[in-house]
Amino acid sequence: MRVLLALIRNDLRLAFRDKVVIFFNYGFPLVFFFCFAEIMNTQTERAISYVLSTVTIVGVLGNGLFGAGMRAVQERENQILRRFKVAPITPTPILCASIISGVLVYIPILGILLVLAHYFYLLPLPATWPSLIVLVILGTAAFRSMGLILAAVANSSQESNILIQVFYMPMLFLSGATFPITLIPNWAQILSQYLPASYLVVAFRGILLREESLADNSVAVGALILTLCLSLFIAIRLFRWDKEERISSSAKLSVVIALSPFLVLGTYQILSGDQYIQRAQQLWEIGDQTKVIENTLELE
Amino acid sequence: MISVEKLVKNYGSFRALQDVSFEVQKGEVFGLLGPNGAGKTTTVEILEGIRDRTSGQVSVLGYDPARQNSELKDLIGVSLQATNLPPKIRVKEALALFSCFYSQRVSPSLLLRQLQLEDKQHSFFETLSGGQKQRLTLALALVNNPQILFLDEPTAGLDPQARQMIHGLIEQLRDESRSVLLTTHYIEEAEKLCDRVAIMEGGKIIAIGTPQELRRKTLGQTLLRISCTGPMSAKLPALSEKDFMTLSADRRLISVQSDQPTKSLVQLVRWIDNQKIDISHIDMKSPTLEDVFIELTGRSLRE
Repeated sequence: MRVLLALIRNDLRLAFRDKVVIFFNYGFPLVFFFCFAEIMNTQTERAISYVLSTVTIVGVLGNGLFGAGMRAVQERENQILRRFKVAPITPTPILCASIISGVLVYIPILGILLVLAHYFYLLPLPATWPSLIVLVILGTAAFRSMGLILAAVANSSQESNILIQVFYMPMLFLSGATFPITLIPNWAQILSQYLPASYLVVAFRGILLREESLADNSVAVGALILTLCLSLFIAIRLFRWDKEERISSSAKLSVVIALSPFLVLGTYQILSGDQYIQRAQQLWEIGDQTKVIENTLELE
Repeated sequence: MISVEKLVKNYGSFRALQDVSFEVQKGEVFGLLGPNGAGKTTTVEILEGIRDRTSGQVSVLGYDPARQNSELKDLIGVSLQATNLPPKIRVKEALALFSCFYSQRVSPSLLLRQLQLEDKQHSFFETLSGGQKQRLTLALALVNNPQILFLDEPTAGLDPQARQMIHGLIEQLRDESRSVLLTTHYIEEAEKLCDRVAIMEGGKIIAIGTPQELRRKTLGQTLLRISCTGPMSAKLPALSEKDFMTLSADRRLISVQSDQPTKSLVQLVRWIDNQKIDISHIDMKSPTLEDVFIELTGRSLRE
C-alpha cells in the first residue's frame, strides 16, 4: 500500500505539472462545453444535458485511451520504466496508480461542468448525482485500463497512436456520445452495441435526465467493472518495462478478451431485440435534441 | 558476494556471452573492461535480475537473480547505462519515491549531501546537467544502503570534472567496504578504480586479475626515454640482455625498452653523467591495460 500511495502521489504531481494533461483534462472540456452550449443554443434541460454528456464522455475516452495509453508507451520508449525495473516492485502498483491518478485528475472537471451547466444553462442537478460520479469513475478507470493494454501491445508511440485511434474514433462517433444513435445507419447502430462507450453514454444520460441510479444501469455498470478487472489483469500480464522486450502477435489478440464483456453484451442485445437501441431512442425522442441536431445537420 | 560460473547468453543464434566466470569479493571494486558489444552490460543485467541467462550458475549475495528476483533487488544498488526519469520530477522527489520501494532506506537528505546535489534538490530532472543526472542516478542506486552496487558505464559521456567526482564516490564506496561491479571502456578508469579487472571481448573474458598482474602478463616493456642537452657517445652501455636500446640520429635522445626500467635508468644516468652531459628530460611509460588489450586481441579498445 505504501508503494501504491507513493506512486499515486507521484503520478498526480507529474500530471499537474504537465501542460498537455491540464489542457486536455480541464481546458479542452471547458472550451468544448461553452462552445457547444452556445452553438447549439441550449435552452432546454435535454439540450444542455446532451452537451454535458458529450463533453464528459469525450473527456473520459481521451483521459483513458490517450492519457493512460500514450503515457505508458512514452515512459517505456524514454527508458523511464527501466529505472523502475531494477527496483523491487511489480507492474501491479504502477498500473493501479496510473488508473487511480487518472481518475483523480479527471473527476474535478465533472463537478466543474455540472456546476457550470447548473448556473449558466439551468440544468437541474440530478438527485442521483453520486451515481453519476461513480459511473464516471468506473468509466474512466475502465477506459484507462484498456489504454494500458493498448500501451502494452504497441511497440512504439506511432503504433500506439494508430491503435488508440482505431478504438477511439468508433467510440467517439458511433456510441451516441457525439451524434444521437438514431441519426447513424442501421449497421452502425448494430456496431454501436459492441462499443463500451455506448453503454457509458446511455447510463450517463439515464442518470442525468431520468435520475436513474447505478442499479438501474446495472448491465452497463457490470460490463464496465468486468472490463476494468479483465483489462487490468491482461495489462499486468503483458506489461513491458523495456522497449527492447517485444510482444508476440498472438498476445495482441488479448485486447479482444478485454472487450469480451461488451462483445457478449452487444450480442445479447441484438439477439434479445435491440433493447439498448430502443432505450437510447426513447431517451432522445422524449426531448427535442434530436431535432436540433437534425436541423443543424440539414442546415450544413 | 558475486559468483558467476560458465555464464552463457544467446540471442537466437547469436552467442552474446560464452562461458563467463568470475567472482567478486566483499569490499572489492571489480571492473568489466571491454569495447562496446563485448558483453559487459549483458553480464551485469543478468546479475541484476533484469535479463534472463541461457545457462550457467549465477549467485549474488546467495540469491539466484533469475529465481529470487524481488529479494535480490531489495538488497542491491543499480545504476543503469541507459535510463531516464520523468522530466518534471524534482531531485528530492525522485529519491523519496524510489526509497519507498525498499525495505531498508537511507535519508534522501544524506544522499543529497553525499552526492553534492543539495542545491539541486528542488530542480526538475530535465534541467540537470549530464553529470548531475548521473549523480542522481548513483544516489538512486544508494537509497537502500546496498552492500553491492552495479554501475554500468557510470561516467560515459561525462566531462573530466564530473568523471572525477564519480571516481571519488566509487572510492568512497570501496572505503565503506561495499562491493562494486563496474563496467567501463575507459582504461584509466579501470586502472584507477578497480582492485581487479576482467577484460571482455566478443562475449568472453580474455584476461582477469589486478591491473598490475595483467600488465605483467603481457610482453610489453616499460619505455624509457632520456633527452640530453648534447650528443651522447655512440658506444652504448651494456644493460640487461632483454633491454632494447636505440639512439637518435643527433645522439641527443636515447630510448630503452626494459623489463627492469629502474635499474636501467640508474645505469643510463651514470653513463650520461660520466660523459659530462646534462640531462634535459626523462620520460618513463609503463604498459597500460590498453596495451594488454591490444596484445590479447590485436586491436584497440576504441576500435
